[in-house]
Amino acid sequence: MSTTQQKRGVQVLNETLHAIFAERDDVVLFGEDILDPYGGAFKVTHGLSDAYPDRVLTTPISEASLFGVAAGMALRGRRPILEIMFGDFIALGLDQVVNGISKFREMYDDQVTVPLVVRTPMGGRRGYGPTHSQSLEKLLLGIPNICVVAASECHDIGALLTAAVEDERPVFFIENKLLYGRPNRRPEDGHIGELAVRESGRPYPALTFSATDFTEGSATVVTYGGMLPVVLDAVTELVLEHEIFCEVVALSQLVPMELDAVFESVARTGALVTAEEGTLTGGFGAEIAARVQEAAWSDLRAPVQRVAARDGIIPSARPLEDEMLPSVEDVVNAIAALDGVRS
Amino acid sequence: MLEIVLTREDANTEYALLAEWLVEDRAEVTAGQPVCVVETTKATVEVESPGTGTIVQLYGEEVEVELGTTIAYVAETADELASIDARSEDKPAPKPPAGDRKATRKAVELAELHSIDLSTVEKRGFITEKDVEALIVAQKASAAPAAGQVLAGVSTDGVSLPATFELDEGVGVLDPAFLESFEHEAFRALVPADKIHALRDAGARIGDGVDLGEGSLVAAPRVVIEDGVRLGPRATVVCEEVVAIGERSQFGPDLELRCRRAFLGAGIWGGRSVRFGGGGHRDPWATLTVGDLAFVGDEAFVNVCRPVLIGREVFLTMRSMIVTHNIGHSVLEGFENRFASVVLEDRSQIGLGAVLYAGARIGAEAIVASNSYVVGEIPAASFAIGVPAKATGSSSHKLSDARRLDLARRMIDDLHELLALRGHAVSAIEEGDPRGFEIDGTRVAFTASYRGGIDAPAVVLAIDVRGDVPDGVAVLDLLARRVHGSGGVVLDSVREFCRKRGIKLEPGPWSYPGGLV
Repeated sequence: MSTTQQKRGVQVLNETLHAIFAERDDVVLFGEDILDPYGGAFKVTHGLSDAYPDRVLTTPISEASLFGVAAGMALRGRRPILEIMFGDFIALGLDQVVNGISKFREMYDDQVTVPLVVRTPMGGRRGYGPTHSQSLEKLLLGIPNICVVAASECHDIGALLTAAVEDERPVFFIENKLLYGRPNRRPEDGHIGELAVRESGRPYPALTFSATDFTEGSATVVTYGGMLPVVLDAVTELVLEHEIFCEVVALSQLVPMELDAVFESVARTGALVTAEEGTLTGGFGAEIAARVQEAAWSDLRAPVQRVAARDGIIPSARPLEDEMLPSVEDVVNAIAALDGVRS
Repeated sequence: MLEIVLTREDANTEYALLAEWLVEDRAEVTAGQPVCVVETTKATVEVESPGTGTIVQLYGEEVEVELGTTIAYVAETADELASIDARSEDKPAPKPPAGDRKATRKAVELAELHSIDLSTVEKRGFITEKDVEALIVAQKASAAPAAGQVLAGVSTDGVSLPATFELDEGVGVLDPAFLESFEHEAFRALVPADKIHALRDAGARIGDGVDLGEGSLVAAPRVVIEDGVRLGPRATVVCEEVVAIGERSQFGPDLELRCRRAFLGAGIWGGRSVRFGGGGHRDPWATLTVGDLAFVGDEAFVNVCRPVLIGREVFLTMRSMIVTHNIGHSVLEGFENRFASVVLEDRSQIGLGAVLYAGARIGAEAIVASNSYVVGEIPAASFAIGVPAKATGSSSHKLSDARRLDLARRMIDDLHELLALRGHAVSAIEEGDPRGFEIDGTRVAFTASYRGGIDAPAVVLAIDVRGDVPDGVAVLDLLARRVHGSGGVVLDSVREFCRKRGIKLEPGPWSYPGGLV
């Protein structure tokens, strides 16, 4: 157990934004209701408008224009950070992304870059209902020339956000809502809890977890963001109850998709489960399954299993929401169903 | 005493910032007075005191507090203030969070089986079955040389070893020349009296009134058989080092006792076809001890390749089974291969057909239900049942004095009725205390406290006995389970009746075959 007091996600993000503002004066931040004393719906921007009133701007409720303004500022050399209050609302700005922000650099033959960061919370399990609970990362997966970064509670959240601001590419920075209230658990002596952890890839690393210090494993689970704690609970349950040992890969860079950590793990374990909080069809898991079977067919002894939300809407009522979203039990069952896992 | 609790203002957050206290800790506050400023995601609010009294603040300023948490008390009286102070002083240490569990279920079960304290395991990461196995191997390696072979380091806590276990090693040693020429079949063919003569002449210690049944065999380099021991027909006793049996112990026909060292106590009652032995009975660690007054039912089987300690007054009922080893497929292929002792502490009871697996330890006065399968330890005084057996309750009930008296009175009435139904001439003589009947000129009566005053010939049951017992009177102290005085067939019959209610009296024998009942 950690001896130091771990900061919660919201605190890390807030402190990182303060540090970024202190460091560079080309950064501007805008979004809805982000001014003090309110400081944003999830308090991430708390204290920034008081400290930097000319660089922290509140905006009308018009995400399309927010994306447009940010694109213009980025083209003119600023580093805008947008806060989209709920990830569900990115759909309102996607035309700007698909037909402008992601294309300008190539359309103008590399003479310009669009270094903007769209920070937005995704995810359910809070009873916010159909239009404030979704995980829409998969809408961004197929957009070339952007970067999608998803923080998890075990990543260095501050370093990820700092890298995103420094990135010349347009970056979507996904913050699962549960991340805000949970402690940012970082590896100590190469471990988080009882799990050994390796970190690989820059600037948005993948974390690989093993219950056996990478000596044995009967499956790999690849996930990201807010599903990581669910997957870690499932993997821990399998260890404690059945001595089934799995590896877990938590990606932070979803786009462009780089799966070296997954290939390395699958080479050790021979089986793969994907886990995401978004709906199943055409998602993160589908893309990874396709890539892994192409590149590592001979390593697989069983078909890739996907764990995801049901293809439907997310109800407000908590028991119904729980039915819709992927659970610890779903992950346990998917792993247990793989050939060669049950001894 | 009043509490100030941070209430939830909106759905987005789990925490609020306790920004500032508007009053000093321990200040006097009045109802409705603002005492602190709390910043939530939606608003900055002042929290008012719910009443008048002394405020006891539980948090400082500029701290984030989980919503729903008590942040202060308002003590309305000095007593309340004192109780708040007392409470904060003996606040228990916080429990480790549930996520801190680190040993797997298999590891925990194996550790319990071997009494290993997992909190002593130092390991980064999960503790698995493999880790515990390694620990067991290491423990065995370090424990083996010190423990010796006779009890192989098995704890005798809760087990009353028989007196025969403590006998000097020189007692009953047979002449090597006799052993050299000893032939099993020839010995079996001897008439019982000649067997005893032969053994005595060779150096064995054989007491008075010993009965070695027809066709029986006793073969060991050291033989001690105390007074009144009876082994039924066709008994086979073959021990590599020693067999010692305490006075008045008896076994029915077809006993088989094969073990390196067997130490049996006094007053043991064994049924027919009892078998001690099985694979490994000649192993260096093959030691059997059975305590005084133990009961071993028909066809019980006790494997003895590791020490088996059976305590005093243990009931090992018919067809129950004790195994001290298990050999399956190759250990190198991951199959279990287990050798471990089994211990039954004093007065434990094993139900019909129960199986005690290598490593089992049954606590004193515990009961294992019929057909259960015991792996590991069953706590003392518990009732355990199942496959594998789990303790589900207590093995006995607490009796009030009144209830005990009522049960004892009912016994004498039941005995009276039983003898009448058997066709004996029985007449009631007393109502109240003492109460009872007369049979064949002997009075049989129950009195709560025996202090004399009952004429001979009589058999008296009592739960509190003081003073001398005159000739011709036998007093059964039912709680101390002792017989004072002596008597004939009536006393034997009463004792037998008591035995069937679990009341075994000393001095023995406690088993009386036949009689009036």
